[in-house]
Amino acid sequence: MSLKLKALLKSPWVFHLSTGSCNNCDIETLDCLTPRFDIERFGMLLAGSIKHADVLLVTGSCNRMSVERLKTLWEQVPKPCLVVAIGTCAGSRGLFIDSYNCPHPLDSIIPVNVYIPGCPPKPEAIMAGVVQLIQKVGGA
Amino acid sequence: MTREDVLADIRGRFGADIVELFDKSPKRVYVEIRPQAIVRIGTHLFRTLGARFNIASGTDMKDWIEILYHFTIEDLNLLISLRVRLDPGHPEIDSLARDIEALNWIERELTELLGITFTGHPDPRRLLLADNWPEGVYPLRRDYVEWDGTADRTRGV
Repeated sequence: MSLKLKALLKSPWVFHLSTGSCNNCDIETLDCLTPRFDIERFGMLLAGSIKHADVLLVTGSCNRMSVERLKTLWEQVPKPCLVVAIGTCAGSRGLFIDSYNCPHPLDSIIPVNVYIPGCPPKPEAIMAGVVQLIQKVGGA
Repeated sequence: MTREDVLADIRGRFGADIVELFDKSPKRVYVEIRPQAIVRIGTHLFRTLGARFNIASGTDMKDWIEILYHFTIEDLNLLISLRVRLDPGHPEIDSLARDIEALNWIERELTELLGITFTGHPDPRRLLLADNWPEGVYPLRRDYVEWDGTADRTRGV
C-alpha cells in the first residue's frame, strides 16, 4: 500500500455529494456525523471543499444535470480518492433505472470502491461500509 | 363568503366558459373550463375571491392533454381545480404567469416536459432539462421514445 493511501486512511476526510437523491440518504449520511453515531471517532471529518477530500460519498441516481457536476468534482479531487456509493440509487439507480433523466449508473461514470445498499441505508450500515472500505484497501 | 356563494359566483360570472362543474366533496371542486377563459377565471379566483395558487399539474391523457390549476381558498378549506383539455397535436394556452407570478416556473416545466405552449409567457427559457436535451422531445408524453443511444438500462450485475 502506498504511503499516501496509508496516511489517508488514518483520518479520511469525506465529501458528501448528492446527485439528485430524494435526500433520505443525505439525512442518514449527516446522521453519521451527529454525536450519537459520531464517525469522527474513526478520524473521519466532513470536508467543506472537494479539494480537501479523501473519500467521496455519493448519493442519488446521477441525473443528466448533476452528472456534469460530478465529473467536474472528480477532476478536482486529489488522488488517491475512494468513492462510496450510498443507497440503492447510487448503486444501481433503484426504481429510476428507466428514467429519461438517469441514463448512466454511477459506476460507469467514476470508479466506485464500496456500495452501501438500502433505501436509505441506516447510519450503522454506512459506518460498516466505510470500515469495510478501510479494510479492503488495507488499512487497520 | 361561504362555499355556496363562491360556487354561485363562479357559475354566474363564467357560465358560458364552464364545461362542467363537478362538486366532488366538501373540500374539493373540479371546474372544467374552456382553455380560452383560463386567464379571466384564474385571475378572478386569485384577485377577487382571494384564492391562493397551489400548483398546476399536467397529464397526457392520450386523446387530450390536461392541465389542472389548483387554487385553494384557505378560509373555506376549499380546493378548486380548474381543468382544461388541450389538443394533443398543438397544445397551446394563454399564460397565467403574467398575472400570477407563482405560475412562472410551473409553466416553464410544463412546456419542457409535456410540450405545452404558453402564449405570452414572460420568461420562456429552459428550466429543468439538461442543455443537451433535444428540442421537441417531451419526456412525459405517452409517445416518448428514448433518444439517447448511449443510455444504459441494465442493472450492471
